[in-house]
Amino acid sequence: MTKQLTPEEIVKSFKDEFETKIKYARIEKHIAGTKKNELIHIWMSVDRSVFKNVVKHLMTLEEYPHLAVTSGYDTGKTIELVYHFSIYFGVRYREISLNITVELPKSNPTIETITDLIPGALITEQEKQEMLGIKVKGIPKDKRVFISDDFPKGVYPWRKDETGPEKMARNLHEVKK
Amino acid sequence: MIPEATTKTTYQLPIGPIHPALKEPVAFEFEIDGERIVDVNVSLGQVHRSVEWAGMRRNPIQILYLAERICGICSYCHPMAFALAVERVAGIEVPERADYLRVIQAELERICSHILWAGVAAHEIGFDSVLFLTWQMREKALDLTEYLTGNRVTKAITMIGGVRRDITKDMVPKVTETLNYFKDNFEKLRHIFLDDKTFKMRSQGVGILTKEDALRLCACGPTTRASGVKKDVRLDQPYFAFGDLDFDYVTPDVLTGEVNGDVYDRIIVRLLEVKQSIGLIEQCLDKMPAGDIVSEPKIPKLLATLKKAKGEGIGRMEAPRGEVFHYVKLDENEYPYSWKVRAPTYNNIMPWIPMLRGEQIADIPIVAASTDPCMSCTNRVAVVDNGKKYVLDKEELHRLSVEKTRRLMA
Amino acid sequence: MRFSMLPQVFAQMFKKPWTNKFPAKYIPRSTTKFLDDVGSGKAKLIPPIETPEGFRGKIQYDTEKCTGCKLCIKVCPTEAIEYKEKEKKIKIYLARCCFCAQCTDVCPVNCLSMSNEFLLADADKYSKDLIVE
Repeated sequence: MTKQLTPEEIVKSFKDEFETKIKYARIEKHIAGTKKNELIHIWMSVDRSVFKNVVKHLMTLEEYPHLAVTSGYDTGKTIELVYHFSIYFGVRYREISLNITVELPKSNPTIETITDLIPGALITEQEKQEMLGIKVKGIPKDKRVFISDDFPKGVYPWRKDETGPEKMARNLHEVKK
Repeated sequence: MIPEATTKTTYQLPIGPIHPALKEPVAFEFEIDGERIVDVNVSLGQVHRSVEWAGMRRNPIQILYLAERICGICSYCHPMAFALAVERVAGIEVPERADYLRVIQAELERICSHILWAGVAAHEIGFDSVLFLTWQMREKALDLTEYLTGNRVTKAITMIGGVRRDITKDMVPKVTETLNYFKDNFEKLRHIFLDDKTFKMRSQGVGILTKEDALRLCACGPTTRASGVKKDVRLDQPYFAFGDLDFDYVTPDVLTGEVNGDVYDRIIVRLLEVKQSIGLIEQCLDKMPAGDIVSEPKIPKLLATLKKAKGEGIGRMEAPRGEVFHYVKLDENEYPYSWKVRAPTYNNIMPWIPMLRGEQIADIPIVAASTDPCMSCTNRVAVVDNGKKYVLDKEELHRLSVEKTRRLMA
Repeated sequence: MRFSMLPQVFAQMFKKPWTNKFPAKYIPRSTTKFLDDVGSGKAKLIPPIETPEGFRGKIQYDTEKCTGCKLCIKVCPTEAIEYKEKEKKIKIYLARCCFCAQCTDVCPVNCLSMSNEFLLADADKYSKDLIVE
């Protein structure tokens, strides 16, 4: 394994490699316990065009980055995906959480798959497809995972616009009294 | 289905969507050659409860109790991971004593969960007397949980910025008494699980997950540690007071000197973790500083603070089964803007494919159970053989497993 | 050892069973009839295991003290609390209650508390026993 970089060096290495394609990067430090241990969370926003190369670059820092999950939300005009990686696990206090945000325009919500680099990303990519109505290019098994096959097409549960699930929801708080 | 794989010699065996070893229903499609599994296709099931959607209509205090109901066994980890995420967004600092109290609850839950799992694993191979022994021990853990939190399962102890109940001086004797009971009985359990021939026969060399597969498929928790990957959020990124405590990664080579990544190794890891957890609670009771247990006791004030918070945060926590991950985005609103929950089983589903390949049908229950997905029951298993369909229910699958144990014993 | 569980099993044969046989040693044919018998003194109930201090059971409500501040409604995760506009008091539907005790924590005048009563099963979710007001 290559030398472990400090959080500042990690951000710098990404910025050197991708320059303006990194929209922002910030390092958050949180403390816990009486010894005031530092936990390091890096947040980065990258352009969609370089996303796959960012993951490839990440794999030069750590051979097998752990992908916890991909979160996603609807901001109105765009859909943002947040890939939560963690690297340098296995040594006490050294792990760094790396959260990479990718913005997708709603007019063309596609992103490249990373399952060829990290096979464990399959389920989370499938989930994003059905929940947010994005398209993952090159996904090996293009099918629904969580919502059932008879769920109407064109309704995406995590969307906050007209394709969202609002019209399907009954108001659960209305109880017969 | 895997249509292209259908040949004269193999047939397909769908299991699920409600599987013996899963709370979230999952469907398996096995390709079987005689008794051997040639290929596995996993597809996740259809009971999605829209917890995250419901969370968008609740304030963070209400979400704590919603998150608690994601899982009955991890009913502490989920709200706590959510609280961690919210605290990081809002910049709330947790008092030191609360950090220690949080560790005690987390480790108590781990003991409870691992002992429960041990019983279920024993049941899966038809060793029911061990099931009753372990669940008797678990009862003690539940009694202690009830004593410390007020209820046996849904603990409702989490609060953003701390915990809701303190462990006072007069409560400590009961905790130590229960811990001593665990220590006395742990040796018994270790002996039964690790030395008994029945267990060795059924678990050694079964359901192997190599280190490389564990890393590539992003497995987490005891499943990945049993394959020799040192990954434990408690140590990698010490939250709560874990950074102050003295413990180390549990991998099977601690005990046996080698890592096989089979079911037996996963049993070793979980059993050793029970012992580790007992030690951690004892350390906490010793080191716990005095002080507040919650940073903001006035809940209306806390809600007002959270209403002003803006930003995104993650909460990672090592639940008994692996890493629990919560992502929260707050937007200066009463309700959160986005919330994503990831339970450990989510990541431990993909590793089933390499684990089950090459095993026998009778090994499915124990291999699936060895990653500790939440146990429910197989509703039914339909075997499609030459177009004829007949149903193999949960008892049938269990019977096959028990029969295999008997065969090996003879 | 080959059968390490055997000594355990033999020892267990001479021990008292762990299970508390609540409400009766053998399951009654009709639980409601059995409970009626207990009420009229014909049958005897094996008591349940005692709840510890701080147990969160059926909620108790002191109407006199309540000021109608609605804080409990704001924190209730299950929306089990209804506000009665006219009287400025609350009504709690136990069928929805999740026994988190958040309302008792938040109440500024301490008019809510948790009792140790936990036998709340009922066929009708709007029955008198399940509504606290």
